[in-house]
Amino acid sequence: MQNDDYTGGINEDEALIASALNGSAYAWEKLVKRHESKIYNHGLRLTGNATDAMDLMQEVFLGVYRNLHRFRGDAKFSSWLFRIAHNKAVDMNRRKRLAATSMRVTDDEGSDVFDAIASAPKYEPDASFGEHQQNGQVLKMLSQLPMEQRLIVELKVYQSQTFEEIAVMQGLSVNTAKTRFYTALKKLKVISEKNHVLF
Amino acid sequence: MSCSKTPHLMKEYFSDDLAPMAGEELEKHLAQCVDCNTELEALLMSQSNLKQWRDQQVPHWDRNVELFKREHRPPPQQIAFWNRLQWLPIAASFAMLAIMIFNVSIASNESGFSISFGRDGESIESMLEIFDQLQQTQRSEMADLVARVEARLDSNNLQLLQAVVNQTQLATAENMDRVYAYFEQQRLIDLQDMRLGYQQLVDSDYETIRSLEQLAQFVSYESEVR
Repeated sequence: MQNDDYTGGINEDEALIASALNGSAYAWEKLVKRHESKIYNHGLRLTGNATDAMDLMQEVFLGVYRNLHRFRGDAKFSSWLFRIAHNKAVDMNRRKRLAATSMRVTDDEGSDVFDAIASAPKYEPDASFGEHQQNGQVLKMLSQLPMEQRLIVELKVYQSQTFEEIAVMQGLSVNTAKTRFYTALKKLKVISEKNHVLF
Repeated sequence: MSCSKTPHLMKEYFSDDLAPMAGEELEKHLAQCVDCNTELEALLMSQSNLKQWRDQQVPHWDRNVELFKREHRPPPQQIAFWNRLQWLPIAASFAMLAIMIFNVSIASNESGFSISFGRDGESIESMLEIFDQLQQTQRSEMADLVARVEARLDSNNLQLLQAVVNQTQLATAENMDRVYAYFEQQRLIDLQDMRLGYQQLVDSDYETIRSLEQLAQFVSYESEVR
């Protein structure tokens, strides 16, 4: 993960933001390049496919561009950016669920087929990951988690957030966050055993 | 899974703020409980599998640079009203030039305006006379102007000189006063010194006379004794 660089006591992100707000396209592009990988991979793990991950990333940086003047500098830019990314990911998932449930169809057993489809990401085959074949395995596992658990896993494992921070971001209690994480890990254990997943 | 504590302990294990004592209790239980130990190993394996993720390279995209440049393009400079009029002198010059080249003449009479191009040969001499008269008038006016400027300069110079002289006189008078005061002071000091000197001389003469008188008395006394 990228960290903010401090150059002579000046935060590089803040310097780039100041230049971008003054109209420097070069500074804006450099700022995006510093953080796009983190946001893209975050989107990839949540959505399961490159197309949706790109859409999410573009939405995130468009949101950042429109609200850059509101960034006050009282928190790290990466934290602020990630909060926007997280909210956009949740919104995107909600939109997909709404779109699916507006054409609600149930199968013979009465269960909501589109609910199941909406929560599962469009999983892309391993070939799309090139040399990172294990990423395909990871996505396969994550895709079988409901969105709420996938978000907790993303925040805990990949963003190294504490349960307190996760609880604040998700609007949950700390205990609920811990329970969801534990439940997610148990489910992943079962999936790994069922699919004989080897890394 | 037969141990009832497993779910609670597993949640505590992955907690961020596990107290040291609670951690020790947990370790102690894990050392004894096979079910919890197995469960923990499986969960850690799942977590480890997730951490096998390697960041994918971001595909090429615009990064909103075109949007940025479009929205941050400097606005077209609005030409101020007075800047538009800067062409007026040039246009007037061209108009004058055209009038001179084509000998345009504009005449107004009771019936209205008339514009004519070119002149006949007879009127050129009159134009030259008028031009000469204009030149002479301009020369005389220029000479008057120069004379007035010279007179003004002379007057200014005289006033300046007078002011300098006055200032110098005042300064000289002040200096003379100071010099006089100084000499007067020195004279008084010298007088004082002279008076003191005379007094000392008088005093020393008086002492001498006294000494002589005493000596004379002594001599007369000596002679009487002999």
